[in-house]
Amino acid sequence: MSEVVLTGVVKRYGPVTALDGVDLTVPAGALTAVLGPSGCGKTTLLRCLAGFERLDAGTIRVHGLQVAGPGRHLPAHRRRIAVVPQEGALFPHLTVAANVAYGLDRAARHGDRVDEVLALVGLAGYGDRMPHQLSGGQQQRVAVARALAPRPSLVLLDEPFSALDAGLRAGLRHDIREALRADGATAVLVTHDQGEALSVADRVVVLRSGRVVQSGSPTALYREPADQWVAGFVGDAVLLPAVAADGAARTPLGVLPISGATPDGPVTVLVRPEQLRLTPASTDAAVTATVLRHDFHGHDALIALRLADGTRVTARIWDEADPAPVGAEVAVHVEGRARAWPAPPSPAPVDTPALPVG
Amino acid sequence: MPVPARRSLAAVAAAGLLSFGLVACGSGEDDAGDPGKAGDKIITVYSGRNENLVKPLLDKFSQQTGITVKTRYATTAQLAAQLLEEGDKSPADAFFAQDAGALGAVAKRDMFAPLPAADLEKVPQAYRARNGQWVGVSARARVLTYNADAVPTAELPKSVFELTDPKWKGKVGVAPTNASFQAFVTAIRVQHGDQKAKDFLAGLKANEPQIRDNNVKIVEDVDKGTIPVGLVNHYYLGEIAKEKGTTPDGLKAKLHFFPGGDTGALVNVAGVGVLKRSAEDPDTRAFVDFLLNPESQKHFAEQTFEYPVVAGIAAPAGVPPLTDLDTPDIDLNDLDTLDATITLIKDSGLVP
Amino acid sequence: MTVTTPDAGPARNGPARFGVPGRLRRLAPRPALLVASTAAVAVALVPLVYLAVRTAEAGAERIGAELWTERVGLLAARSLGLAAVVTAACVVLGVGTAWLVTRTDLPGRRFFAVLAALPLAVPTYIAAFAWVSTVDRLEGFWPAALVLTLCSYPYVFLPVAAALRGADPAQEEVSRSLGRGDWRTFTDVTLRQIRPATAAGALLVALYVLADFGAVSILRADTFTRAIFVAFDLGFDRTGALVLSCVLVALTVLLLAGETATRRRGARYARLGGARRPANRLRLGAARWPALAALVAVAVLALGVPAVSLARRLVSGVSRPGALTEVATAAGNSLWLSLAGAALTMLLALPLGLLTARAPGPVATVLDRLAYLAHALPGVVIGLSLIFFGITVARPLYQTSWLLALAYATLFLPLAVGSVAGAAAQAPPGLEEVARSLGRGPLAVLRTVTLPLTLPGIGAGAALVFLTGMKELPATLLLRPTGTDTLATELWTATSVGAYAAAAPYAALLVAISALPTWWLVARGGLLDKEDR
Repeated sequence: MSEVVLTGVVKRYGPVTALDGVDLTVPAGALTAVLGPSGCGKTTLLRCLAGFERLDAGTIRVHGLQVAGPGRHLPAHRRRIAVVPQEGALFPHLTVAANVAYGLDRAARHGDRVDEVLALVGLAGYGDRMPHQLSGGQQQRVAVARALAPRPSLVLLDEPFSALDAGLRAGLRHDIREALRADGATAVLVTHDQGEALSVADRVVVLRSGRVVQSGSPTALYREPADQWVAGFVGDAVLLPAVAADGAARTPLGVLPISGATPDGPVTVLVRPEQLRLTPASTDAAVTATVLRHDFHGHDALIALRLADGTRVTARIWDEADPAPVGAEVAVHVEGRARAWPAPPSPAPVDTPALPVG
Repeated sequence: MPVPARRSLAAVAAAGLLSFGLVACGSGEDDAGDPGKAGDKIITVYSGRNENLVKPLLDKFSQQTGITVKTRYATTAQLAAQLLEEGDKSPADAFFAQDAGALGAVAKRDMFAPLPAADLEKVPQAYRARNGQWVGVSARARVLTYNADAVPTAELPKSVFELTDPKWKGKVGVAPTNASFQAFVTAIRVQHGDQKAKDFLAGLKANEPQIRDNNVKIVEDVDKGTIPVGLVNHYYLGEIAKEKGTTPDGLKAKLHFFPGGDTGALVNVAGVGVLKRSAEDPDTRAFVDFLLNPESQKHFAEQTFEYPVVAGIAAPAGVPPLTDLDTPDIDLNDLDTLDATITLIKDSGLVP
Repeated sequence: MTVTTPDAGPARNGPARFGVPGRLRRLAPRPALLVASTAAVAVALVPLVYLAVRTAEAGAERIGAELWTERVGLLAARSLGLAAVVTAACVVLGVGTAWLVTRTDLPGRRFFAVLAALPLAVPTYIAAFAWVSTVDRLEGFWPAALVLTLCSYPYVFLPVAAALRGADPAQEEVSRSLGRGDWRTFTDVTLRQIRPATAAGALLVALYVLADFGAVSILRADTFTRAIFVAFDLGFDRTGALVLSCVLVALTVLLLAGETATRRRGARYARLGGARRPANRLRLGAARWPALAALVAVAVLALGVPAVSLARRLVSGVSRPGALTEVATAAGNSLWLSLAGAALTMLLALPLGLLTARAPGPVATVLDRLAYLAHALPGVVIGLSLIFFGITVARPLYQTSWLLALAYATLFLPLAVGSVAGAAAQAPPGLEEVARSLGRGPLAVLRTVTLPLTLPGIGAGAALVFLTGMKELPATLLLRPTGTDTLATELWTATSVGAYAAAAPYAALLVAISALPTWWLVARGGLLDKEDR
């Protein structure tokens, strides 16, 4: 069942085109992340969905009902699309309970719904507090509860975790996803943080220069990015020039099997750093490299390497029992398949056809 | 911004109040703007005369006649401007003005009704409008006030024109924006011609006069001795004495009436005119009658130190009777050529 | 704060507004607000319509004769000169005092914060009168400049003190860490941070000086306003007075253009997000004594002189005010009229302030500037214009409290609009969007979110209008309901016959009642809060 459908949505600000024909379907009951670098139009997309901005072209349908389109602009307060802004934006003059009850009908304001959603976000019993008495994380939880309370058709989250510190972020992210799921809400999360998008969303839509570049499940996106740009944007990428023939590519890292169909000829291949395996250098190794740098992250480490032919690549390793010292020679081989696109440089990503989800 | 939840209630209340205010706005809660009908025992008087001076008199009028007087107090000049702006829609029945010039300005726009001959005849011709549109009710003489310690009686000038003499340099207080001063300058023009007036103002200006905002301040400063002499109306001495809890005799400031029919001894009036729409209103007529009855005339003499204009009432204490004054031979009706006077005063540099 | 920092800059509107607005919707994004704002501005423009009508009647020849004279040139030069001198002095005094009470460890700074705002409660005619009776032969340009400065520097002090308290100290810390000393940091960073507040305050002072009649007439400084009053007095010369008023409007346009330019540049220094953190206070050390002495001296000149003079007049005279009931009635009337004026003014100012803050753009700017146009006109011209309006358009309102309230609205609209816009700009527009996304309609959002959050600004604006209305005399004299006395008119009545002792209680009561909203303004600026840390 399709819940929210955007077709050919265009939004311009004077000479600047912020949304350039966005086609997008948000499935019901799921959390969809809109991922993109700053300036890609993701906040504009959110404001258009919410009804804060008028479209220049295209339509938006919610549950089959057209809320925006040529000659039609359902005002924000009649769309049943609730927003959770970046900084929470709690009403400073209202208590937590009054904030949460704000979107409820008069009759429902004193019912159980307020306590229910507060419990959902882990703030049962905080109803009488004022917003300034809460921490930043708690304020965000209240903002989510407030958005959930009237059971909207859609909840829009605008980088809701960006103002919080890293430790808090992971926990809150998880809790809020659980709260959204428990409530059966349909939600769109706007973010520029690929880790956030991949970890919490059921589906991820990558937006660039006002267009949808790719959409799909987090794993599909990571494993089969539509182009090099998406590949680099959703995770660490090792991109290498290569020549493809018969389902394999000859690369500086050796001959690698290619996933999917690629015409023979010059290509660019992608391998993820975690596909690289390092072993102590031995004379029979096909590929060797020199360790240039070591970035230790606790659970893993990234190792910068220079291959014999001068190409630089990055490897992610987990086993740090006996790390190769900087300057050491190591043998490198690749596990699994590489993804390949015709090279030299792939056509501009904006020309990549948008892939509708669902 | 910690704002208690109760604020939202307050906001609603405030918004409610404001909109209520707007509604009330349309309903016009008092009827001050209502001109009223003839004979309804209510009259509206625009008074350019000070409330402290005339309110007791108006109260007495209400008491005796049962007519309620609604009084607007403001400066005579502002009320004249207001009347001219209101035109024939004015809610006023009568204009009680500080000086003849203002009455003349309103009369010129043909807003006054001629007064009954019975009222006019009580007052000498010189103190009322020739066409009967206004009548003087009290008179005031231009005088030179002087500080008795600073100026020996023998050295007092015989004529106001002597004040341009270098020996009075920096010693003369004047209030050139005051209507009385303006009437006095017009009088010079009428009596001696424009050139003489122009020369006098130029001479006065060259003598670096002590310019004050109004007559009260001149008399105060003369009494204090900070200015030796000043050109004022005679009755201000009485007012200052009253505030000091004494009589005019107890002040250092004294009065000097210029002798020999000098222009400096001009006598001007405060007077009243009746707006056209109230020409037949018995209440308004009663008001004019009242101002000219002996009791009111006595009030002016005793309470405001002015000269009565109706024959047979004693002059205020401490000044010679009006009939004894050697006043210049000027008809107040001839003082209506204000424009030329104002041009002269403006050109002289005595006013901004 | 009250007289407001217009920092509603484009930053607040996020990505929503760049580029040239091409369509009507962009020009007028809030039709309801726009209509209400236009109505408010129309009220403020009544005097200009009147001026246009009456001046046109005079005919080109007469206008030319009045206008192209050396005298008008002199008056213009002197009026602008006085406005410039007083504004400069007020900026120095206002910013200096604000800095001392908000950013240093000056002893008794909260006390001095109240003292610095209190002159707002003293009408210029009382202050000027006090000075004239204290110092002999005080007259002319410089004494008028002195008295006007002492009476109007709170217009700069209040917004600047609030801005100094609210300014982000991080910028100053960065400046110091980059090697700028305290003084360089103050001039290069702090003064720039508070520039919008200073400019807004300075504009109010300049317009106040142009419109003031009390000080200039008592101290005989020959300015336009005095010339206008004299023109009325001298031969009841309405036309001459009104032609001069037109020149005054032209001068106002000049001032507004100047301020608008500063405002645009100032917007860059608006503070972006972040929690408010108090700045560190500078230790004055030995410098505290001269600083204290300076503040005490200003307080003595601004408040002590009028107080002593009033007391002396009360003791030396024998006249007494009317019965207690008369005084109480006058006080009641003053309260009622000023409250009605404040309410009506706020009602008109609210849409305009919200429009300025929420939909900034050329339309909002033009409307806002138009609201200022009548602000520099003397009360007597406003009074006559509303007589004209009342007689010809709103006859049922003529000589009722409501027409006078309307006059106050016309005169003081800018004071109120600034406060509302300042407060609305501080409440992020995101709040209203969230409210709408939760299903509440525009009116419900206005009632439940915008109004409660703007309430402090509405209150500050109302307080300012209220206390200015209390002091207003010329328009009150012309427009009050017949027979209604206020504290200001009673004061005028008594002083014009030299009954100073009778006047003193009215003056004292006028100052005392005006002092309450003044105190509130100080408290609202956070200047009375306990130590920040």
